[in-house]
Amino acid sequence: MRAIISLCFFLFALSTFAQVGTVRGTVLDAETGETIIGAAVICNNCGSGNTATDLDGHFSLNAQPGTYAIEVAYFTYRTLKLIEVKVTAGEITLVGELGLLPEDNLKLDEVTIIAEVNRNSEIALLTLKRKSAAMVDGISSARIAQIGDGTAVEAAKRVTGVTVEGGKYVYIRGLGDRYSKTTLNGMDIPGLDPDKNTIQMDIFPTDLVNNIVVSKTFTADQPADFTGGLLNIETKAFPDKKVGSISFSSSFTPTMNLNPAFLRYEGGSLDFLGFDDGTRRLPALARQSSIPTPIFFSDAEVNRFVQSFNPTLGATRQRSFLDMKVGYSAGNQWEWKNRTKASGEVPKLGYVFSLSYKSNYTYYDDVTYGEYQRYLDPSVYEMRYATVQQGQLGEHNTLIGGVLGLAYKTNLKKVRATLMHLQNGESRAGQFWIDNDASAVGQSGYKAFSNNLEYNQRSLTNLLINGTVVKPETGTEIDWRISPTLSLSTDPDIRKTAFTYQTLDTFFQAGAGGNPSRIWRYLQEVNVPFRYDVTKKFTLFDEAAKLKYGAGDAFKWRHYEILLFDMQFFGQQNWSNDDPNQVLNPENIYPNYPNRVYYQSGNNDPNPNEYASNSNTAHAYVHTEFSLNLRTKAIVGLRVEHFVQRHTGRDQSWASGDYTNGKNLTNDVVLNSLDLFPSLNVMYSLNESQNLRFSATRTIARPSFKELSFAQIIDPITNRIFNGSFFEYAAWSGNLVETRINNVDIRWEKFMDAGQMFSISGFYKGFRNPIEMVRIAEQQTSTEFQPRNVGQGTMFGAEMEWNASFSALSPSLENFFFNGNITVIDSRITMSDVEYQSRKSYERDGQTVINTRAMAGQSPYVLNGGFSYTHPESKTNFGVYYNVKGSTLQIVGLGLFPDVYTQPFQSLNMSFTTKVGKEKGIDLKLRAMNLLNDNVLSVYKSFGAQDQIFSRYAPGWGLSAGLTFSL
Amino acid sequence: MYKFTALSAVILMGLVACESTPPVDPPSSDYMTKIVSSNLTSNQTWYADTIYQLGGRITVTNGTTLTIEAGTIIKGEAGTGANATALLIARGAKLMAIGTPSLPIIFTTIADEISPIQVASGDFKSPNLDPTVTGLWGGVIILGKGIISASNASGDVNEVQIEGIPTSDPNGLYGGTDNADNSGVLQYISIRHGGANIGAGNEINGLSLGGVGSGTTIENIEIVSNQDDGIEVWGGMINITNIVSWNVGDDGFDTDQAWGGTLDNFVIITPKGHCFELDGPEGTYAVSHTIKNGNIQASDDNVTSEDLINTDANSLVSLESIYITDILPGQIINRLDAPGVLYADIVLNVDTVSNFLKNGGTHPGITAGTTPKANTSVFSWTWAAQAGIIQ
Repeated sequence: MRAIISLCFFLFALSTFAQVGTVRGTVLDAETGETIIGAAVICNNCGSGNTATDLDGHFSLNAQPGTYAIEVAYFTYRTLKLIEVKVTAGEITLVGELGLLPEDNLKLDEVTIIAEVNRNSEIALLTLKRKSAAMVDGISSARIAQIGDGTAVEAAKRVTGVTVEGGKYVYIRGLGDRYSKTTLNGMDIPGLDPDKNTIQMDIFPTDLVNNIVVSKTFTADQPADFTGGLLNIETKAFPDKKVGSISFSSSFTPTMNLNPAFLRYEGGSLDFLGFDDGTRRLPALARQSSIPTPIFFSDAEVNRFVQSFNPTLGATRQRSFLDMKVGYSAGNQWEWKNRTKASGEVPKLGYVFSLSYKSNYTYYDDVTYGEYQRYLDPSVYEMRYATVQQGQLGEHNTLIGGVLGLAYKTNLKKVRATLMHLQNGESRAGQFWIDNDASAVGQSGYKAFSNNLEYNQRSLTNLLINGTVVKPETGTEIDWRISPTLSLSTDPDIRKTAFTYQTLDTFFQAGAGGNPSRIWRYLQEVNVPFRYDVTKKFTLFDEAAKLKYGAGDAFKWRHYEILLFDMQFFGQQNWSNDDPNQVLNPENIYPNYPNRVYYQSGNNDPNPNEYASNSNTAHAYVHTEFSLNLRTKAIVGLRVEHFVQRHTGRDQSWASGDYTNGKNLTNDVVLNSLDLFPSLNVMYSLNESQNLRFSATRTIARPSFKELSFAQIIDPITNRIFNGSFFEYAAWSGNLVETRINNVDIRWEKFMDAGQMFSISGFYKGFRNPIEMVRIAEQQTSTEFQPRNVGQGTMFGAEMEWNASFSALSPSLENFFFNGNITVIDSRITMSDVEYQSRKSYERDGQTVINTRAMAGQSPYVLNGGFSYTHPESKTNFGVYYNVKGSTLQIVGLGLFPDVYTQPFQSLNMSFTTKVGKEKGIDLKLRAMNLLNDNVLSVYKSFGAQDQIFSRYAPGWGLSAGLTFSL
Repeated sequence: MYKFTALSAVILMGLVACESTPPVDPPSSDYMTKIVSSNLTSNQTWYADTIYQLGGRITVTNGTTLTIEAGTIIKGEAGTGANATALLIARGAKLMAIGTPSLPIIFTTIADEISPIQVASGDFKSPNLDPTVTGLWGGVIILGKGIISASNASGDVNEVQIEGIPTSDPNGLYGGTDNADNSGVLQYISIRHGGANIGAGNEINGLSLGGVGSGTTIENIEIVSNQDDGIEVWGGMINITNIVSWNVGDDGFDTDQAWGGTLDNFVIITPKGHCFELDGPEGTYAVSHTIKNGNIQASDDNVTSEDLINTDANSLVSLESIYITDILPGQIINRLDAPGVLYADIVLNVDTVSNFLKNGGTHPGITAGTTPKANTSVFSWTWAAQAGIIQ
């Protein structure tokens, strides 16, 4: 610690000391976009000599104030001369990315560029997109800065084929979470929701993001468990110059913010920081194998035990506040001159830091959840309801995110450490009328009014340590990374209190609205991925080639537990009113007559709803990038992954003492596979601006810990139950396996100036054993789902992408842009016999059931489009963006129970950003969200029947305004 | 009488409370307690000198017979949800539980201090629990191979999963093609304080009869204070005789999926839900059942039943000779026009019958009167009779 402090002092001393100026930039190969290491950067009259680019292609050159010409030279490249470089005392002049052109017998002269004109363009990424043999896309820090996006998620939306759901999670090419993947600095990192593959991206301020790259085809150096796309966020390690900003933004959605009807409940004093302060803690005695219940414990003990639970059971209405977000970020790099080497090489230190706080209110004043069934009679088309639930739901979400990165590099070595912590708390309160119809199959019929109180606390702590060494003499780069993460997610004290309303009486009825219940859920997960990669440059067929090989390992461990307590009444009930907050008044608690409230445990010992799982993925790969000729580039690779997943858990039978038929696993292997993942990516340049691409790869999607378990997780609001895959049914073996996917992609693309491009792609994916959520038909009373393998799937897709400037119409419109992409997908599952027969038996008159259907989670189309205007001088941007996905099968119904589809959500947003204030130092951002005021809707669909609501809520339209002050 | 019982129970509980902090078994000097924690896969007999404590959801599996001696007490451990205890007689298994009026077989909770000695003395009341205490354990579930009218994934099906048992337990399947199926003999059995909650709308009945065939004998059964229905029948052809359903938390007697048998001679006292909940077939198989010769008490000082007789438009049932008392305004017979529902000699102890029929209607089979229809003399062995509730 002391060393760090003294280091900081030392650095401050360093940064204030010189009265010279500094010139910084990055040198790249203009053809490939790759950084050039060791290029000479020469300034003949700067007064401080020359320097060379480091392993990131960066250089930093000190100079007396003045105007200079700087030459960049490297063997086999044409020398680049940058003129009119202005240097000011004590300031940093950024010259951006400098692309060197390879030598050419016809052109040996040097290239001259005026520094001012070399706007910080996107050479690296654009060239990467054009020249990489793999299909990649992305957005660079330069482009983000130009557009003015505030967080990584806003920036990611601008990448082709990316859609963002819930403002947080990404979907690529319309393929859902199961087939998309997000990595941070190239490493697997669990999301705040550990059951999702993608991390929450709205916590990364863009001034700390170096770039966001989306790979749509697999190469062997990437993890094999993605199919739609892999999105990687690379954070900055060495900001070009001192950056610092404070931002503040606020948003207003009329239905949600400042709404006096907002639903909340009395929580803890630290809720605003995303922590529960103990208000919702499970009382200590509740963990005992036998909790205090009447007869076996004294009245006083039972009474004390009941009183040890929080008595709040009802939601209350209170005006919500505005959404707001404040953020601080800073970063810098220094030259550590005391460590200057004999060669003149100066080591560099860099840091990045960000801290953000967000508070959001969500309020839905008309939420509907429905459960519908078909009639057995094939001449009846309409569905009938089993349960319809309607009400209001309020959510208050707070998020604190902190990132601290430190890095050190010399010209050929680099080491960095990035520590990140996210702390999130979500408090939810809902009130619903529940109408259950006795005529429906398996239902007993009741009316109830429920109060639901929930809290979810999540945190994620990640440390990335990364080292890179370059050996120019052998053309080798060695990179190693280790990135341990601890994730915690707890749902302390989920309370559901539903009075059943009969004609003549109102009370708690187990067989109807149910007795009041409380649930605690705990999840802990540790991930430790490690990788070691070597890249070696060599020459093949007279062209530059690269060999990359590496190995690594990712270990994951999770512990999960659910504890349930039901309220019981020792004898009859008699409630003077139906206020849930009075249920736990002292006069109602055991032994006080008549209601005599006590708790009964829903937890077996051992607990069937507790499990521990771990998995280990060991990988090794080799791939090579080479040019067959001047026009053809290829990446050929092979990756091997050995995956083992182990599980400790038990089913209900075993937990209740049936050791004969019950199942119990003790760190038993539940998945074990050794897979080879070949990849072939070829690019053929038709000419300077047009490419043809082809790729053929094999990838995988593995079931999650939750899916491979005996867990039965109820959503207390909807009463819908998730079941782990280990439970066997007539139609399901209980053996869930990974999905193996063969991918083929072809693409034609044409690049034009100013970032314009047009492309047409086609793709095919073949899925072996795709996993889908299937309704459990045997369970008719409650709505239960289970992940199952569902036969074979195939997918054909066509994608068109167009980024155009309106300059073609008139040069005066050069700052108006259109970008759009459309993906159309035909996905098909060949049903299992059981599914086919079950659908056949519920065929309506006039319907012909065939044995194929669309894949669950796959949208038939994705459409993104936007118009934007950019005024670079004033850094003003205006944009209108539209996004929609087609109707997507969400839950596979069986027989009696129809399929559930997610309906299209038409998202239309507008944004305006500009610089205001003195010296234009303040960014102003205005946004308007969901201008079409669309609803989020899922429906049951049945032949010839009107669609019926599975779930519906209205996010409403909203406005937001934000200011960012640069420091 | 009832008030006295309640008072004595409170006093007793107080006494117990002073003595015991950790969970304790009742005094055990004169009988043994045996904890049953795994399924029965070979024939067994349970004897009256032992209290059998159900440690979980205990299944008597296919091909196995459980014999229970007259006077035996079975107590379920406490629990809710997955932790609920129950005795499940799977398809192909048999329960031979033959009690007598002087030595009934009692299923209750471990919180109940009733002992074999007390039962032998002829006192069948709980010494410490009110007859209103529900949900302390699960219940008794008998599953058979009789025909049911159900529908699920495969359309019209002949087997489905019984309510209250997770679908992950295949022992919970019932139904078949053998209406003469024999699941054993149940005589003189009192089932008390059960009905543990599995989830909203999903809990265990006092006695659940799924697809039980006519070869089975079920007579002289009392259900007291079950949190869900007293008895629920799904299809099958079983005939049921001499039933008491007292203080249950939901329906007094509930039928589904085309039961083809007869309920003869019953007393239903103050269920919280419907006195009768009679649903129609769910599949294409349709057969009618008969419910006859019974008394219903629809309210007391503390409890008012939701309504009197509740049928669906497609229900198939013949209701004959039923007398209903203690009817309060708002309680009705919910449907008069269902073609498959026949009313004959239904007598309501009210002044104006039409006030208690759907939409103020009339029906020739439903009249006002004061004549009881049940033969209550056969119920003298029940707790309800010993407590003076049944005269």
